[in-house]
Amino acid sequence: MTTKTMRVVGHSLPRFDAPGKVTGTAVYAADFALPGMLVGKIFRSTEPHARVVAIDVARARAIPGVRAVITAADVPDVRYGGGIKDETVFATDKVRYVGQPVAAVAAVTPEAAEAALASIDVVYDPLPAVLDLDAALAPGASLLHEEWRSYTAIPIFHRDGNVCNRARIVVGDVERGFAEADRIFEHRFRTGMVHQGYTEPRAAVAQWDSSGTVTVWSNTQLPFEVQNTLAEILAIPPSKIRVVVPGIGGGFGGKLRVGVEHVAAFLAKKAGRPVKVLTTSDEELTAAYPRQGTVVELKTGVTKDGRITAKSGRIWFDTGAFAGSGPGVASVATLVLAGPYRIPNLHLEGVAVYTNKTNCGSYRAPSGPQANFAVESQMDVIAEALGLDPLEFRLRNIVREGDEGPTGQVLQAVGLEECLRKAAAAIVWDDRRPGPGRGKGLACGWWTTTGGSSGVYVKINPDGTVALNTGAAEIGTAALTGAAQVLAEELTVDLGDIGVVSADTFSTPFDFGAQGSRTAFAVGNACRAAVTDLKYRIFALAAAQLGVEPAACALADKHVVADGKRISLADLARLSQQTGGGLIAQGTFIAAPTAYDAKRVDGHAYPAFHSPSFHAHAVDLSVDPETGDVTIHRYVVAQDVGFAMNPKAIEGQIEGGVAQGLGQALSEEIVYEGGRVVNANLTDYKMPTTLDVPRVETILVEHPSLVGPYGAKGVGEPPNIEPPATVANAIAAATGLRVSVLPITAEKIALGLRDPGAAVSDSG
Amino acid sequence: MSKMALSLTINGERHDIITEPHRTLLEVLRGDLGLTGTKENCLEAECGVCTVLLDGRAVNSCILFAAQCQGRAVTTIEGLARNGTLDPLQQAFIDHGAVQCGYCIPGMILSAKAFLKEYPDADEGQVREALAGNLCRCTGYQKIADAVLAAARPPAHR
Repeated sequence: MTTKTMRVVGHSLPRFDAPGKVTGTAVYAADFALPGMLVGKIFRSTEPHARVVAIDVARARAIPGVRAVITAADVPDVRYGGGIKDETVFATDKVRYVGQPVAAVAAVTPEAAEAALASIDVVYDPLPAVLDLDAALAPGASLLHEEWRSYTAIPIFHRDGNVCNRARIVVGDVERGFAEADRIFEHRFRTGMVHQGYTEPRAAVAQWDSSGTVTVWSNTQLPFEVQNTLAEILAIPPSKIRVVVPGIGGGFGGKLRVGVEHVAAFLAKKAGRPVKVLTTSDEELTAAYPRQGTVVELKTGVTKDGRITAKSGRIWFDTGAFAGSGPGVASVATLVLAGPYRIPNLHLEGVAVYTNKTNCGSYRAPSGPQANFAVESQMDVIAEALGLDPLEFRLRNIVREGDEGPTGQVLQAVGLEECLRKAAAAIVWDDRRPGPGRGKGLACGWWTTTGGSSGVYVKINPDGTVALNTGAAEIGTAALTGAAQVLAEELTVDLGDIGVVSADTFSTPFDFGAQGSRTAFAVGNACRAAVTDLKYRIFALAAAQLGVEPAACALADKHVVADGKRISLADLARLSQQTGGGLIAQGTFIAAPTAYDAKRVDGHAYPAFHSPSFHAHAVDLSVDPETGDVTIHRYVVAQDVGFAMNPKAIEGQIEGGVAQGLGQALSEEIVYEGGRVVNANLTDYKMPTTLDVPRVETILVEHPSLVGPYGAKGVGEPPNIEPPATVANAIAAATGLRVSVLPITAEKIALGLRDPGAAVSDSG
Repeated sequence: MSKMALSLTINGERHDIITEPHRTLLEVLRGDLGLTGTKENCLEAECGVCTVLLDGRAVNSCILFAAQCQGRAVTTIEGLARNGTLDPLQQAFIDHGAVQCGYCIPGMILSAKAFLKEYPDADEGQVREALAGNLCRCTGYQKIADAVLAAARPPAHR
């Protein structure tokens, strides 16, 4: 399958929503407004862990312009959550982190809402706070959730006090594997909590109608999940809840779960008016769903000639006050800890742990950067110790076509060796230390294309253009442009002929949501299914018109052609409107389950990677020996995308993913002191700017997936995974200093170069 | 709170506005005038999504009182296209794939607009310096820099 014969897929066409975005006419959830809309704001805990003795909202209610003040007393007594239902809308008997919602207000002006917040009085009785993993796991540690046993949870999770899941992969016998090894290496790594950094705050506008239906306009990535969660929280049927996504200013996993939608809905009900809740930067950095900080321990056995015989390891996720994505992320992490390597004996654990911090969630390739940082840093250390080139050491151990993955899945379309060799060649790997203070590093990895189902409706308009109706939200990745390209290709129309309606739980078909690198893959396949059905209808109609057999019909250039005759899609659509209700079809897709060996996993929510992608990153950088400043000269990504649906859009995903990854590698961390975030603003939370991100050279490798449209694999998350390890390895090559704690700030490097123990040591 | 009368020229059109003295240009643009192409995020001039042109210079409208703009000319993203033709920057952002979620893009384009007016022959380093106050989390900035450089030097003028 080559792009030579393709008119639309495989081409770098501009995304269909770009004109609205460059002219300011595209409406985002944060822009959305209704007549009479009130301003909603959230009153948040100031204590990391405390009994709530009393809440007094009487003064707040009396402030002119205030239309609603609500607390736990005003909402159904419901616990909700993804894998573990441990969260409430507002704190009830106790607060568990600084920033936890305790009350909310709605008022006619922001000033009145602020005044109301300032007038709420809460009396706390402080409890011992659990501020890090060690404290949470210590014998006799204060419990975040004394009642954890009573919570509803996915039964496979292994829970115990402050541990909200312990997921495990066991393969072979690690002790035997270590006995077979010539050398055994043990290392410990630590990574900081980081935020997705979307530029549009989380936003929701809620409005109730006289039938008791609430409509919520929100920038969620998962409108259907939010609909179901709201149904639980509001204690009304899902059919009484309509979630519409007007537009999203970035999500990266941070806008998956209910964030402010429920608060807007409760306030709107109480006030009898529409209410908008929009988060501040302070709220984002103290009370959102960031990536978990982690501690990783790895023990790896190798032979003298560089074959890995066994690996045991554990990654602890500091998941905050509620489980959030933690139990699932801990599961995914074990597959990343295994790495894209052939290792006969594995014992890997992911442990999600409650602490008195904000509830962590999902961020682009959840667990990927943390676990990969540990694995790929250790690979370099081992190679160095064995006197092997790090590239050669990887090539001796990587998975290849037909190999087994860690849980027994059979790996297909494995482009890893090509990625590694091409990235290494591009960075000129043979010259690894080009000068003083300068070095090159590389890292590789693998990732999943998340499953879940997608439905679409496809309709031919009377002018021959096409309407694509999908439940998926366009979060910025151009995934729906990719799906529209598939549709245009299959229907022989132009991309500009496709109009898209999306992400409205009332009117669009179900979609599992914009998450897990799945949207273009799954919606694209649903489009292909819809075209199969649509062709059947189109050809039946055309055959009757042309006096031919349906089997003789084919689509070409916006027409049906058969036996030298032709009729346009426009004519057929008009005809169908007069006689048959129009040309419309439904298409659905769900990826078949990936077979794995269930005996190898335990407590595991994500036992195999679907249509896995493979990737290698390489960097050339210099380190200032005095200041520790890192200057990146070149950055190369070779990614096996299966099939490049839209090469320029994919480059954009890779460039952006690397930028975020470099932030995690070098500068970003939500810093807690005594249970309080001390850098909750965009000056002190240091995201890369134009001056920090180098040009990224992208090499698209194509080993076609057997499942994805035209062979495509998931693209969006992977580029975020390898940057921390790649950079750490290059810094080590440049300076000899191995930093095992993220972020690798200039300060850590400078201190480490003076005292090598300082940067490597792990205090947490 | 007492209100004041302001006269602002926004996208070439005079607007008479009655508002409180503490309200920002951003609030007036988005709230009173419904010009939501100017975006809202950090509200403390750290992210740049609210960037507009004030008398041709790029400013953060989130920390500027509307009252400070009395009698002055404001250009927002809605005012950049002329008679339905996109500004070369807008077209270049589309052509170069510089748009992903797009939330930072209005501010990014207006920062670039003000900069290119002053430095039409800028190189990539200067472009990046000029845009360092505009955070983008999607693109990694590369295609944005490419788009700005392309708009600065249309192929016909090279």
